[in-house]
Amino acid sequence: MQDRPSGFGNPWLQLAVSVVCVLVSELLLKRGATDIADLSSAWSWTGINGLESPLVWLGIAFVIASFLSWLYVLKYIPLTIAFPLSRVVDILVPVSCWIFLGEFISIWRWCGIALVVIGLALVAKPVARIEERL
Amino acid sequence: MTFLSFSFILASLLSFVWAQVVLKRAMEATRKSGLRNLRFILRVAGGIALMTISFFLTLGLLQRFDLSYLYPFQGLSVIIISLMAAVMLKEKLTLQLTVGALLISTGIVLVSLS
Repeated sequence: MQDRPSGFGNPWLQLAVSVVCVLVSELLLKRGATDIADLSSAWSWTGINGLESPLVWLGIAFVIASFLSWLYVLKYIPLTIAFPLSRVVDILVPVSCWIFLGEFISIWRWCGIALVVIGLALVAKPVARIEERL
Repeated sequence: MTFLSFSFILASLLSFVWAQVVLKRAMEATRKSGLRNLRFILRVAGGIALMTISFFLTLGLLQRFDLSYLYPFQGLSVIIISLMAAVMLKEKLTLQLTVGALLISTGIVLVSLS
């Protein structure tokens, strides 16, 4: 990780960009899919009718952006650190659904979110130490 | 769950994990040899092909099972990828990273089950 670039090319910033892009894409795809839902059509099972929604197209653009920044992250950060940290999205999605889409989160789900946060802290701690030494 | 559906769940999970390992190898190599070489293009294409296989296997599974039933298996990808990276990419897997990955996996399973 010694020769890693700084500024916008910083791989940790790109990891955050990738996670935010996944989060935004999930919310856009959900909104887009709900907007044009036509459950009576047989085609709706394939999801292809989702392409009628501009929000779905915007969601797809965010999916591509997240993949490109993820490839960049893989160039610099070990998979044992980058992949577990990228799963922060698994708690950001339900929490965003709670905040922006008004969905309900049960007690067990909050417990799961807490476990993920503790796990993320454990994975991120050695990273903080590596960064201090640089 | 039948043996067949279990095999499909395992296949979709393993192709996803394998894709990540292949993409990691491809991107790491670009630090020395840049983006314009055949090996890099073949590896990235292989990684994308594996992700596509995983995507369609998941799509097929989603037609047969609820997302809440399938998602916990996705949670397992965290711990499997950490182990694969340690074995295949020779990355250092400390006790702290292992416990962290296990907690994240358990948390994702709990979030998707409830």
